[in-house]
Amino acid sequence: MEEQQNQEINKKNWHDKHYKTLLLIPIALLLFSFVYMGIFYSQHHDFFLKDISLKGGTSVTINGNLDTPSLKNALIDKFGEVNIRKISNFVTGEQIATVVETTANAEDVKAFLEDYLGYELIEGENSSFESTNASLGKSFYNQLLIAILVAFVFMAIVVFILFRTFIPSCAVVLSAFADIFMTLVTVNLLGIKMSSAGIIALLMLIGYSVDTDILLTNRVLRRHDETTLNQKLLSSFKTGVTMSLVSLIAVFVALLFVKSFSSTLDQIFTILIIGLVFDIFNTWVTNVSIIKWYVISKEKSG
Amino acid sequence: MLSQRRNQDEKTGNFFSFGRGNLQMKKLSFRIWLFIIILLISLLSIFVSPYGFTLFQKGVLIVSVEQNSSSFEAGLRQGQIITAIDGKSIANIADFSNYIEEKFPSEKAVKTIITTKDSDIILYSNNAPNITVSNIPKTSIKTGLDLSGGARALVQAEGKELSSDEINDLVSITKNRLNVYGLLDINVKAILDLSGNRFMLIEIAGATPKDLRSMIESQGKFEAKIGNDTVFIGGDRDVASVCRNDATCARIETCQQDSSGRSYYCKFIFTIYLSEDAAKRHADITNTIDVNATNPEYLSKPLELYVDDELVDTLLISRDLKGQVTTQIAVSGSGTGETQDDAYKAAEENMHKLQTILITGSLPYKLEIAKLDTISPLLGQNFVKYIIIAGIAALISASILIFIRYKKLKQSLTVILISLAEILIILGIAAIIDWNLDLASIAGILASIGTGFDDQIVILDESLHKSSQSLKQKIKNAFAIIMGAYFTVLVSLLPLMWAGGGLLKGFAITTIIGISIGVFITRPAFGDILKRMED
Repeated sequence: MEEQQNQEINKKNWHDKHYKTLLLIPIALLLFSFVYMGIFYSQHHDFFLKDISLKGGTSVTINGNLDTPSLKNALIDKFGEVNIRKISNFVTGEQIATVVETTANAEDVKAFLEDYLGYELIEGENSSFESTNASLGKSFYNQLLIAILVAFVFMAIVVFILFRTFIPSCAVVLSAFADIFMTLVTVNLLGIKMSSAGIIALLMLIGYSVDTDILLTNRVLRRHDETTLNQKLLSSFKTGVTMSLVSLIAVFVALLFVKSFSSTLDQIFTILIIGLVFDIFNTWVTNVSIIKWYVISKEKSG
Repeated sequence: MLSQRRNQDEKTGNFFSFGRGNLQMKKLSFRIWLFIIILLISLLSIFVSPYGFTLFQKGVLIVSVEQNSSSFEAGLRQGQIITAIDGKSIANIADFSNYIEEKFPSEKAVKTIITTKDSDIILYSNNAPNITVSNIPKTSIKTGLDLSGGARALVQAEGKELSSDEINDLVSITKNRLNVYGLLDINVKAILDLSGNRFMLIEIAGATPKDLRSMIESQGKFEAKIGNDTVFIGGDRDVASVCRNDATCARIETCQQDSSGRSYYCKFIFTIYLSEDAAKRHADITNTIDVNATNPEYLSKPLELYVDDELVDTLLISRDLKGQVTTQIAVSGSGTGETQDDAYKAAEENMHKLQTILITGSLPYKLEIAKLDTISPLLGQNFVKYIIIAGIAALISASILIFIRYKKLKQSLTVILISLAEILIILGIAAIIDWNLDLASIAGILASIGTGFDDQIVILDESLHKSSQSLKQKIKNAFAIIMGAYFTVLVSLLPLMWAGGGLLKGFAITTIIGISIGVFITRPAFGDILKRMED
């Protein structure tokens, strides 16, 4: 029992000694992210790879069982870049549909597919068509970027109003920014093509990432009881990590179920998982270090 | 005697006050009551549809009845539920179509007894009843196009920025046209997006019309010309009325095999009535035309009908009409097909199109479809099933984790139950405001349940936190955190209401509803339930 307590004190001492040094990790990660994004942007002239919902093109879902590899080859010969995937029954594993995504327009794809399959594709019956023209895709993309930017600014304003202290508010905003930015870099590293659903997920991340930061800042600055700073940090760490783990496990389980049939939900959940992991890191390394530094230096000067 | 009575009074008095004290301890707080009432209202709105409580109801729902048909006259109406035909019970749409296809068409008129929920209706006909039916909706929750199937189009003017008046005109013309085509379940509206672009959004539930693209895109410019002079154009300025759905003045006349013998063509004819102005113009123009030398029955120049600058028909003008102010004109055209049936259908379709543009007039610009989605309903039904399984699995696994962390069974169970209740309340509100739940909305529900879990952990954790503060104070602390998080999420969702042509509005609205219910209804109730557990 005593040993355990000693260990705990040692652990805290370790954190007391090294919390400033710990900040080097997020700084290094952020630097890497900025450099990577700089290179990525110069190569692709964009912040991420876009799928057809943001670039324009057609997605065709053909009901029934098809030989996808040979269809894919035929499509690539004709249209160049093509994305193809299967939708299967979750229980039996039986293929129930095939999804084809290309940047070509709906009429061309339909004509080609009908020729290849040898039967008529009746829209809304044996097949589904979703087509977006390039200019609309581009306009969606621009607007969603603006939406993220505006959402972030709004969030920052609320955080500043909530805490009315500069450095702790900055810490919250910074760690939310780091979350989203690092998630985006990971999405690019994994080569995921973002759809409008992916952008929704980034917006959801703003909400998910600030709540643990608000919890932390609130406990440290507002809870006026007998507990010490380290105790407050530890208690919020326990709560916050439980929150993140519960969200992570829920999203992860949901992802397992929806992965096979909905690319929309698949992408939302994948991005949320990446984001939640970075959230744990940024709240309990980045934000904790900054706020600890702030409180200790304030105590010294005051 | 007197004193005895006083004693008794005191006793009863004591008894009552004792009772009241007990009652107060058991009384549910205002917040819990509010939560229970809203949950009940939600359950009601989910499970009681305009057709009553239909969760276990067998039968088919009448979606539409052809006007003035024998079925209509016999008393069949939209919204009735058919439970049996000729005494054979009908459980679903498959039963219905199997039975009807077997029985009709028959050689002679036969008796059909249709049993609806309230009465028996008897029909005599050799044709199937002129009704369309669907399976009975089990709940009043409506799913969006990506789950229930249908078509959606975002339409812009080609190379032109439309003003708000222009887009509203476009919306009403398009609505009119789609109605004339006989499409019932449609929604057409103007949309303004974040960058100030105006679109027309068309949503059609159920089956996708075959030529939707051409139907939407066709400008529908109709011109009737004699030589180079325009006599009249489509729209109510020149065309006072158009006969349709009346065989005496609008019909398919003759069907013939063409000279090559490989295809058929059918001719249609219908009457239109010109406005006075147009009729006078007709008189003025025909007055200047001579009688045809080779065919003296007619004038030398014909009336030519153009749709979108393409000649669709040429009508010879009878010499009696020269210089006459005639308001009644017979318009004709044809349809061709490989079989006589196909030709008949094509003629019918062409007649419909021509009638439509004569009624609605043309658009002063070309349209361009920026986005067109036509979704088969087949996959959506599976999606819904999987989403429910995924949701339940996520909920259970999250609850197990909470139980492992806090080792308090009652509290952990409460967390699951509250989360389930929250889902029901969100669905209930969606049903009340007639919101169509699409995949984005479902993502929104998941997002709010996720934040809900997080918030309940904060409350649970604060309340279990060992400190000298009272539980009330602790829960107040928790709410300070929760409200902060709530407002940040709320403001970050606002831009989505307008971005992307409003197609992501579903996500924003459901999430806002979800987190608001959480913060104002379920979380306060959860706090009070925890207090009661403590007591």
